[in-house]
Amino acid sequence: MTSYRVGVDVGGTFTDIVLLGSDGTIHSKKISSSAENYAQAIVEGLAEVFRETGLRGDAIEEIRHGTTVASNAILEHKGARTGLITTRGFRDVLEIRTLRMPRMYDLTWTKPAPLVERYLRQVVDERVNAAGVVERALDPRDAERAVDALLAERIESIAVCLLHSFTNPAHEVLLKDIIRRKAPALPCSISCEVLPEIKEYERTSTTVVNAYVTPIVARYLRALRKGLDDAGVRARLLLMQSNGGLTTDAAAAERPIHIIESGPAGGVVGAQALARARRMPRIISFDMGGTTAKAAMVEDGEVARAHEYSVGAGIMIGSRLLTGAGYTLKVPAIDLAEVGAGGGSLVWIDAAGALQVGPESAGAAPGPVCYDKGGETPTLTDANLLLGYINPAHLVGGALKLNAAKARDVFTKKIVKPLGMSMERAAHGAHLIAASNMIRAIKAVSSERGRDPREFALFAFGGNGPVFACGMAQALGMKRIVVPPSAGLFSSFGLLYAGVEHHYARTFRRLLRKADSHELERAWDELSQKALEQLASEGFAEKKARVRRSATLHYQGQTYELSVPLPDGPIDLAYLEEAFGREHEKTYGHRAGADEPVELVSIQIVGQGLREGASVPARVRPSRAEPAPPPPRPAYFGSWIETPVMRRSDLARPRSGPLIVEEYDATCVVPPGAKAELDGGGNILIDLP
Amino acid sequence: MDPIEFELFKNAIFSIADEMALTVFRTTYSGVLKDNMDYSTGFADAEGKLVAQGLTLPGHLGSVPTAMASIMRHYQDDIRPGDVFIMNDPFDGGMHLPDIFVFKPLYHEGERLAFACTVCHHTDVGGRVAGSNASDSTEIYAEGLRIAPLKMYEAGVLNKTLMTFIEKNVRLPVKVFGDLRAQLAACHIAEKQFAELVAKYGAGQTTLYMRETIDYAERLTRAALEKLPDGEWSFEDWIDDDGVDYGKPIRLFVTLRKRGGHMVVDWTGTHPQVKGAINNTLSFTKAASYTGVRSVLPQGIPNNEGVFRAIEVICPPGTVGNGVLPAACAARGLTGFRMTDCMFGALAMMLPERVKAAGDGGNTGVSIGGYDAERKPFIYVDFTCGAWGARPWADGLDGNSHMFANMASHSVEVTETEQPMQFLAYEFVPDKAGAGKYRGGVPFRRDYRFLEEEGVLQVRSDRRTHRPFGLYGGSPGGPSENYLNPDGENRALPSKFTMTIKKGDVFRHVLAGAGGWGDPLERDPAAVLKDVRNELLSVRQAEADYGVVVIENQADMKATAKRRAEIRAARGWREVPAVQREDPLPKTRKAA
Repeated sequence: MTSYRVGVDVGGTFTDIVLLGSDGTIHSKKISSSAENYAQAIVEGLAEVFRETGLRGDAIEEIRHGTTVASNAILEHKGARTGLITTRGFRDVLEIRTLRMPRMYDLTWTKPAPLVERYLRQVVDERVNAAGVVERALDPRDAERAVDALLAERIESIAVCLLHSFTNPAHEVLLKDIIRRKAPALPCSISCEVLPEIKEYERTSTTVVNAYVTPIVARYLRALRKGLDDAGVRARLLLMQSNGGLTTDAAAAERPIHIIESGPAGGVVGAQALARARRMPRIISFDMGGTTAKAAMVEDGEVARAHEYSVGAGIMIGSRLLTGAGYTLKVPAIDLAEVGAGGGSLVWIDAAGALQVGPESAGAAPGPVCYDKGGETPTLTDANLLLGYINPAHLVGGALKLNAAKARDVFTKKIVKPLGMSMERAAHGAHLIAASNMIRAIKAVSSERGRDPREFALFAFGGNGPVFACGMAQALGMKRIVVPPSAGLFSSFGLLYAGVEHHYARTFRRLLRKADSHELERAWDELSQKALEQLASEGFAEKKARVRRSATLHYQGQTYELSVPLPDGPIDLAYLEEAFGREHEKTYGHRAGADEPVELVSIQIVGQGLREGASVPARVRPSRAEPAPPPPRPAYFGSWIETPVMRRSDLARPRSGPLIVEEYDATCVVPPGAKAELDGGGNILIDLP
Repeated sequence: MDPIEFELFKNAIFSIADEMALTVFRTTYSGVLKDNMDYSTGFADAEGKLVAQGLTLPGHLGSVPTAMASIMRHYQDDIRPGDVFIMNDPFDGGMHLPDIFVFKPLYHEGERLAFACTVCHHTDVGGRVAGSNASDSTEIYAEGLRIAPLKMYEAGVLNKTLMTFIEKNVRLPVKVFGDLRAQLAACHIAEKQFAELVAKYGAGQTTLYMRETIDYAERLTRAALEKLPDGEWSFEDWIDDDGVDYGKPIRLFVTLRKRGGHMVVDWTGTHPQVKGAINNTLSFTKAASYTGVRSVLPQGIPNNEGVFRAIEVICPPGTVGNGVLPAACAARGLTGFRMTDCMFGALAMMLPERVKAAGDGGNTGVSIGGYDAERKPFIYVDFTCGAWGARPWADGLDGNSHMFANMASHSVEVTETEQPMQFLAYEFVPDKAGAGKYRGGVPFRRDYRFLEEEGVLQVRSDRRTHRPFGLYGGSPGGPSENYLNPDGENRALPSKFTMTIKKGDVFRHVLAGAGGWGDPLERDPAAVLKDVRNELLSVRQAEADYGVVVIENQADMKATAKRRAEIRAARGWREVPAVQREDPLPKTRKAA
């Protein structure tokens, strides 16, 4: 019997479900998310697939899930009523944050409200110094008083973060014992366990976010498990983490901090896997949907990760300079650069008469003008329609009818006439400007990290990614574009490629030349042990587990670190120093002299569970029959060209652009001069001249 | 002009300016530079006119054009490929000595098309006090190394004489050179990417588009100014003193004259320059003026020469807003912040519903320097601020940087690891926020405990005698405070001072509270209760300032109505005061 693995990506608007059979067949389903009960939508969606295909619950071998349940709880301030215990004198670390704001001249700026209001923040009289020495011992009676005060406020979750606890956790452990004793069922997040790293604001914020979402995530996962059980699906449930690895539902419920940015990770991991399989060492993934576009970098087969990010920061061009929005999390996550550009982005004219696109979006309602649902402001999708790039009559295999005449009228009135140029020039202009905005996301993950985008292939997915990919690649001098199968559902499809993965880190601050390599080895071994124990509990014992080490370093006195991987085997400090110097030069174009001291800041471990054989067959077969292609239509590439419209399978032999590939979930535009063909895995490969 | 190609060009050039900024940000050694974003990057055209500035520090808005003008004045006919210019002289295009400018001319086939520009605040440039930012120096010669516009590289060759001079005259040459390296790296990145831009658009179009980028910003600025009312508005405020002539207030006075798409910001009437090191260069006064005006214009107008064309700034030479030799200026940040606040005051007269009351006054500077037992120097520099004035629609922000700097605080744990310093407190202080329908931001205190044998503590703070003003009925915020050893002798210290401290000494700084907006008696009692519950406002003060009588965490509405009527009668307003610098009623009920 064919067994199936399922990828489920729950987004704000749609829940995408992909079933991949052991024989390579794919079933997919796009359904509306139910904001009230995400779990129910998943269970009902699966039930529909079962009805349509005749499959049964016991055919499902594993469910992999990317979810925004945790990030939504934060964005909507619907997390648990959380209490926080901190060191006396530092009650407001959480609220003062870093002082910085993400806007430069904006009198209307509003700080994100603290996730724990001040009256739920208790202090205890204790002090550990920077060397980890207890200068003022914590009196257990004082600790009990603080806990009791919060329990009296009927908190649903508790966080503890004391100064310097990462060097000496004794006082936090004491508090934990008291909490366990007084309230055994209360979810309890202790900073030395959640994030044993230096910087009190980042550690407090991360610990508090963990506490804030723990009850919500745990409840959600219980409901989902029960729904699946009731539907006869006994398969194990794995969750996508922000770092691109999978974790078990039990581990996610304990440390939900790792699944906050679960949603966008699936697509990047899928892109990484396909790139590895195709032996493409360097790719940039580009995921563009209705409201945002996201880019990430894969180099030497590895996804670039950030050690810190903000959740709920909104989308801002130049956001890497303007920090201070959202809630800071210092846990590894795929380094995504995001800009507010999607099919729904508004096209408008600014006060100086310049054409602009986004960042405001028409969203799902009213949506683009051509959806004919009341939208009166032109959007990128309208521009793409007028340019002949997308089907003028309908999308999603006919499910969504379009009104091209209306799009034309509104675009003429609001854009073409004021600009005094032709329709096609204006629409093409909007298309190019959107592309140039999105190029900033690609530059953010490449040239801003010292990488030349021309050495990368562009891996495009999301409903709109393949519409823009070729034009953007051209502007950046990139030569190769890859459009994977099920491009519009790739965030859920990508989940199927992921592996189980756990990240651990701790601060280990000392000058490299004064570091004791044995001590370092022991510290790393301790982290490895944690990773191996976790993996073993998930069925990845011994040879099925792999552990890799890395370190972050900087020149003494610098305040920003770079991450360097370390090969297996004995620790070679000289190697580490040299590797750091090389990375500094690669990223910033210069390195300091050999006598300048390098400081180790923290050490990390990534533990991976290995599975036998490829996770996804090389060749996948969508179960949905391809419809007959529509007739050719004129499309604008600087001039109007009658352009053939094809199915993906028509690219079994190489073809030259211009051409358009229309599919159920995405449209791919191949410009004149480019060559397109399918590879053995069903990917469209496009080569630019 | 192709509007679409132009938009693409503009996107590209600002993205390079931002990338330069990121390069500096990530490779810098200086905590001041990184945490205060105290640096800027950008492009100027071949004549030195600012085309694009990276998104970093509002305080640098006027800096690059002034410095570029000085380079052009000195080197008009002597600029060659491979040159790199360096300078910091406040009286020849610079701002204050720690801000070192590095400029690189960019060429295409032998023709100069642009300049890559960077300016960074360096940890130390010598002078009598570590950190080179003493507020009590009385002439520029005490403040550190003064670098006239010079060539750091001449046709690609490093000027070793100059670099040796710098090396021998600063306390931490490794940090200074590390940050200069970051500035050079940013220039290199700009050079490389600019060359790609020229390859794509051609030299002629590039020049044309750079000019259009400036014109575009001017059009946007003028269009936005057109929408504001025409007329003339003035505002005044005082800095307590300059830290040398104690108790002698320094007047800031600004007049806005707005007609159509043009605005004049005139500082005539501002106090003559002072002995203490808080004299601005004109460029810094311009930055404060632009920051104020920009805060009432729409977001998204690019920073360049075009904005400056529409906003004309006047400040007579020899004033605290435009110092001349030998004015000391190291700590002029204070004057910049306060001129920005003064701009907010004037703009609030023009646009009552759109501008905030005074915040805590901008950042307080605390530096502690000395030598450890092995005679190795240490310098700890901390800038901190955090309370915004109330807005006509919302409370002031608590714990948010002043708009002029957008700085970040440094981690307590990292500081304690790197410096002979321990923090005993960093938290909000109740009952200091100015009352109002919307209250001012709540200030915080920082308690620093010193761990080396001996050091020199230098503090630049203000808003002690002249409190942050409230607007349209709002009360002023509480004054700033400084103490030595608050849990022992608790000696009150002046707002600006330099003193020797010993191991174990604790210095406490309390920021001023921010001003309120609107009549406090109109504040929603629920909002008052919330502050009481969060211990940001005492029960006693809730009643004194807001007339809200709180009993067991509940507002007694009947008693509140009565109390509010009493306060209304006692203060006897005939009209709501537009500006308040003192409490409407004597603070007899206020706790000590």
